[in-house]
Amino acid sequence: MREEKKKNKEGKEREEGKEREEGANKNGAKKEKPEIILRVENLSRTYIRGKIPVHALRCACLTVRKGELLAIMGPSGSGKSTLLALIGTLETASGGKAFLDGTDLTTVPEKLLPRLRREKIGFIFQHYNLIPTLTALENVELAMRFSGVPKKERVQRAKALLEELRLEDRLHHKPTELSGGEQQRVSIARALANRPALILADEPTGEVDTKTRDSIVRVFRELSEKGQTIIVVTHDPAVAKECSRVLQIVDGMISDED
Amino acid sequence: MLDLIIRNITNRKVRSALTICGIALGIFAVIVMGAMSENFNQTFERSMSVTSDKIRVFAESGVFGGGLTDDKVSDVLRVAGVKDAYGLLMTTFDEDKLGMTGKQILGMPPEKSSVALYPVDLKAGRFLNPGDSYQVVVGNNIKREYELEIGSKFEIHDKYFTVIGILEYTGSIFDNAVIIPLETAQDLYNVGDSLSYIFAVPDERVDAEMLSKRIELSVKGTSTLSPGELEVQARQSFMIFSVITISSGLLAAIIGGLCVMNTMLMSVAERTREFGILKAMGAETRDILLLTLGEASCMGLFGGVLGIIVGVGAVFVMNTWLASTRIVLFLITPRLIVIAMLFALLIGALSGLYPAYRASKMSPMEALKHA
Ligand SMILES: Nc1ncnc2c1ncn2[C@@H]1O[C@H](COP(=O)(O)OP(=O)(O)O)[C@@H](O)[C@H]1O
Ligand SMILES: [Mg+2]
Repeated sequence: MREEKKKNKEGKEREEGKEREEGANKNGAKKEKPEIILRVENLSRTYIRGKIPVHALRCACLTVRKGELLAIMGPSGSGKSTLLALIGTLETASGGKAFLDGTDLTTVPEKLLPRLRREKIGFIFQHYNLIPTLTALENVELAMRFSGVPKKERVQRAKALLEELRLEDRLHHKPTELSGGEQQRVSIARALANRPALILADEPTGEVDTKTRDSIVRVFRELSEKGQTIIVVTHDPAVAKECSRVLQIVDGMISDED
Repeated sequence: MLDLIIRNITNRKVRSALTICGIALGIFAVIVMGAMSENFNQTFERSMSVTSDKIRVFAESGVFGGGLTDDKVSDVLRVAGVKDAYGLLMTTFDEDKLGMTGKQILGMPPEKSSVALYPVDLKAGRFLNPGDSYQVVVGNNIKREYELEIGSKFEIHDKYFTVIGILEYTGSIFDNAVIIPLETAQDLYNVGDSLSYIFAVPDERVDAEMLSKRIELSVKGTSTLSPGELEVQARQSFMIFSVITISSGLLAAIIGGLCVMNTMLMSVAERTREFGILKAMGAETRDILLLTLGEASCMGLFGGVLGIIVGVGAVFVMNTWLASTRIVLFLITPRLIVIAMLFALLIGALSGLYPAYRASKMSPMEALKHA
């Protein structure tokens, strides 16, 4: 019952999103812009530390279209991770709205969040965050397990992804047996496993050397060219330079409206 | 999921092994203590069924207090509803081993030996006949211990008896019985015409409990123990024994359970970040619960299996060792194995419950920030 309701709602919002888009197109853009994947409106998050409120994210407004490779830059503590966690539904917002593929993330009931995460979102972390007891192949496969993909199909897809990321001879290595760059590529494969609408990468090159960094950025560009939407949080101007758009976050505030 | 659970267990080999040993030790105790209780239980049940139809008539002053003599038998016989009555003299064969497993000398009228022992049947030979004096019918354990055959000589109280009958194995007190004619027994122990008690057999369609009361009222100086009362009395002492053995086993098993809980709490705390990752990957609360509960239950399962194997082995060794003394102390029953196994699983699952709850309730972002 609940699921059905949710689906209906989703559908409705998706239509609304399309209308908006069409509206935008009528207003004179010559080139047809790709559809909007993510729309964040006045999103905020306040933590209470002791009794003092900490405004980790004051106001975030941004729109991300399909296939974009968006870089978010900002000083440490400016709320970058908080923004990604809110978009990725790992945290709940204190205010505002965020539409992913037409669904308002801030109103999705807690029970439905895991499904939303595995279907729509792929995470890449600074510290790779692979499961240490599992091999590269199993780590990628694990992401699909929760979505109930049959074993054969899982293994096939995991292998294909790892091969695409040139890890074909590292399939059965545990994370400790892999270099930082290799681990990060495994985690990219894992993020891609469920074909998410959006990939969220929090300082993915923060711990790797420049050569590895360049190879990771290249992977992101390739994915983006194939239509994968990616948001990358980074300190590194060299990474930002390669992205299709760069936004600055300062003191919990970010906006892409001029 | 099962492969992940097994992976997590085998990944921390020493810790998991210690935990599993903790449970195994508890289940081992359950098995050994339970086997003791089961053996006692079986002897009890079989003894009950063997003697269930007779009323025991004692002297008011007690079994060994004397005062009950042959002439009381005819008094008992005269009570309406009594089909048959006969006196027995009971002494222990070796003084140092009393109780259920101790050997008993039963002096009974030779012509009553087959009905008194009913439904226990003979494995070989015959029951006592009128005119027998230094003839003996022995229980199965006695036969085995003294390696007796029909015709063997058997020494009781410095006199030699000829074995004329061997009872089949019953698992009851009769396995340790030595049955001789009543008069011979009275002579042997020099007690005149004293009796330990009188067996009164009720007529068909006569209520044993009512008759028991009637005998007590009409034969002066006697007290009776009806089959029902005997059962209640015996069951009470049996209960106390069971409670002691089973609770000591349970205690050990609960300690094993705390072992698992401790391990699981450690393992959950250590893997806080991992649970965060799993949640970011879209794992349901149910998946996390399954992983942690499954791990705890698996340890319960392994510990249970190990404990049962070692326990059954130990019981087997002890029974073999005790066989030389003809004392059977332990009995493994299917029911005991099932209970021990279920208990091991229950302990595992129960002690995994709290850690699993903690793991599933963690906020994903908090968990991911965990070092
Ligand atoms: N769980 C939390 N409790 C309290 N304060 C937090 C919590 N998470 C983040 N913060 C605070 O919010 C601000 C933004 O954090 P974060 O989003 O991690 O910044 P960035 O990733 O840009 O370095 C920081 O001041 C941080 O201390
Ligand atoms: Mg951060």
